[in-house]
Amino acid sequence: MRRGLHKVIGVDLLTDHTFSLRLERKDVTFLAGQCFNIGLPDTAVNREYSSYSSVFDDELQFLVREIEGGQVSPKLKLLKPGDSVEVDGAYGLFTIDPELVPNHSFYFIGTGTGIAPFHCFVKSLPGLDYKIIHGTRYVNEAYNRFDYSNGRYINCATHDKMADFNGRVTDYLLVNPPPRAAIYYLCGNRNMINDVYDILRERDISSSQIITEVFF
Amino acid sequence: MKVAISYPPIVNDRGQKAMVSQNRNVQFFKTPTYLLPVVHAQAATWLKQLRFEVIWDDGNAQLKSYDQWFNDLVKAKPDVIIFESTTPVMKFYWRTTDALKKILPNTIFIMTGYHSMRRPEETLELSQTDIVLRSNHVDFVITKLIPFIANNPDWRITCNLEGLAIREDASKIRSTGHFRQVEPLERSPMVDRDLVQWKNYAFENGNYLQTPGTYATSVIRDCMFGKCTFCRYNGPDLTFSVLPVEKSLDEYERLINEHGVKEIFDDSGVWYRGKEAREFAHGIIKRGLHKKGCYFGFNTRFEYLDKETIELLAEANFRFVLIGLEAADEETLTRLNKGYQLQHVERSLKWMSDAGLHPHLTIMVGYYWQTSEQLKKTVDFVKSLMFRGLARTLQVTLCTPLDYTPYHQECIQNKVLLTDNYDDFDMSKLIVKTPIPHSEYYQAVREMYGIAFHPLFLLRQLRFLLTFKRRDWQFLFTYGIRAIRRVRNHMFNLTRGEGLAIPDPEAPTSL
Repeated sequence: MRRGLHKVIGVDLLTDHTFSLRLERKDVTFLAGQCFNIGLPDTAVNREYSSYSSVFDDELQFLVREIEGGQVSPKLKLLKPGDSVEVDGAYGLFTIDPELVPNHSFYFIGTGTGIAPFHCFVKSLPGLDYKIIHGTRYVNEAYNRFDYSNGRYINCATHDKMADFNGRVTDYLLVNPPPRAAIYYLCGNRNMINDVYDILRERDISSSQIITEVFF
Repeated sequence: MKVAISYPPIVNDRGQKAMVSQNRNVQFFKTPTYLLPVVHAQAATWLKQLRFEVIWDDGNAQLKSYDQWFNDLVKAKPDVIIFESTTPVMKFYWRTTDALKKILPNTIFIMTGYHSMRRPEETLELSQTDIVLRSNHVDFVITKLIPFIANNPDWRITCNLEGLAIREDASKIRSTGHFRQVEPLERSPMVDRDLVQWKNYAFENGNYLQTPGTYATSVIRDCMFGKCTFCRYNGPDLTFSVLPVEKSLDEYERLINEHGVKEIFDDSGVWYRGKEAREFAHGIIKRGLHKKGCYFGFNTRFEYLDKETIELLAEANFRFVLIGLEAADEETLTRLNKGYQLQHVERSLKWMSDAGLHPHLTIMVGYYWQTSEQLKKTVDFVKSLMFRGLARTLQVTLCTPLDYTPYHQECIQNKVLLTDNYDDFDMSKLIVKTPIPHSEYYQAVREMYGIAFHPLFLLRQLRFLLTFKRRDWQFLFTYGIRAIRRVRNHMFNLTRGEGLAIPDPEAPTSL
């Protein structure tokens, strides 16, 4: 783990309330799925964000949802290339044991920016057999969907009929029963996690196959 | 079915009581602090709502001797007895379980807590415990498990509720898999204050400036950050769950209006931050609870709360803010995964003290890598903060590996543990090899607690009186007297270990 100032490479707006923050990587090392604490210099306030970029990328990238009235995210959104942010990390155990990759399939179920660690998994772990079920409100929140192999990404949008599936991720799972043998990673808001957990357990999927991380 | 949730009085040979509860690590104190074990209290409340007969059996808070507690429990003949474990009291619990099982052979013994959840087989092998709960969500699991046991005589074979280790028979232990990491906390009831006899916990707590005080039902379980290596709220099996703001506000309103509570502390690993913290403060103000003469307090982390939120909390009559300042050197903070930078500590504390909050620092010494220079930095920094009034109170603990946290596992891997006897893990003495003599850490403890009696600190407290805030006068004249008693107690407790040190054959000697 390390801490220090990192230069901003870019802030890319993805939707009205979500953006991608790209930072110089420097000598940071991390495991896919880990998070960093990010704050503006000298503000004495930071927040945790999971890495969206892979362990192989030259830059660090984070998906940030702008919180109305928030103390960190609205300020991050206004950053310009060349500005600096404070970065601490990496932390966390929401990771995949690489030894499991060759012989297991993985289901990644997330909402909103909760897809960040899954994007990092996919880009960091070659040979990963995965499927992503991503819940959003609109299809324009299906960030970088073409980064995923054909048929491995399903966007479930509640307010958009153009999505792969119109409805919540829970609705999708009810009509598309998930396989019993997969390992499940859930990331996003707690209500989604609770509901999905119940569906998986009702399918007799063992609790030992379900790993969760709550996002605000 | 009769269920006892039991906390035996654990008294050491110096007459000190062990304070065991989910809210803190075990420490033995002569002047006790009675802490309500919040999650177990929720479990008791929920079981009662499900119409089970519940015995809230806290022998410590109920001022029982061990023998009295033991005899009363035997007389009550519960069908189920639930204990809460942590490393330094494991051996005591195993002995107690076996002694009770001899007299109550049909009673089912359930062990909960952060030690046994990480080593369930150990407790099942070394005692006659029947079930170990691997979940931190004791309330959610117990309220499924007890009805199952009540309705299924063959529960040892048929119970598949997740997160349990069950003794099937004399030779077979069965795991029911991983526990559910996230639970909807709003479904667990708020603590039934009468059931847990809340007044037993309302006065003997050094952190209350006014009494009766109480612990709120925690809004976060366990910790939103959950990455600090020494903390039990860290592990691949843990994330956190959140209680909605309105539900917590409802409880505060009841505690103030119906129970006359004068100080409420939320012992969540880390309380709300950002939007939720502001919503909570606005809710307190909107309901007029900030004008009822009740103070509020919580645990937080550096770099979680901004100036605007802190000022709003102060307006809502928040007072006590417990905040971890584990060390004052970057290397230690980095190794502990603390996630904040020293350069921001002063500013955060200044926001709090300027707003009228009373920051309470929790400091640790005795990390297995801690050098004289690092230790001195910590002592000097803490003194500087206290003399300048940036923090009001502090507590110092000897960093003790516990409950198989990452720090504990690191100590094992690096072969720095001086003992594997769990009884030695009671935070009364250093149990790791260190680069400098242990006496230097004990001296640091004395020096930091000694701040309370330093003229510069006392002068600073007198200057606070000029603010003419009621809480500052209370602090000096009420809390101050109480604090002196407790500071002496802490100093004795944390430095007596100097004479009880576990020998380290490779220990460096004093210069």
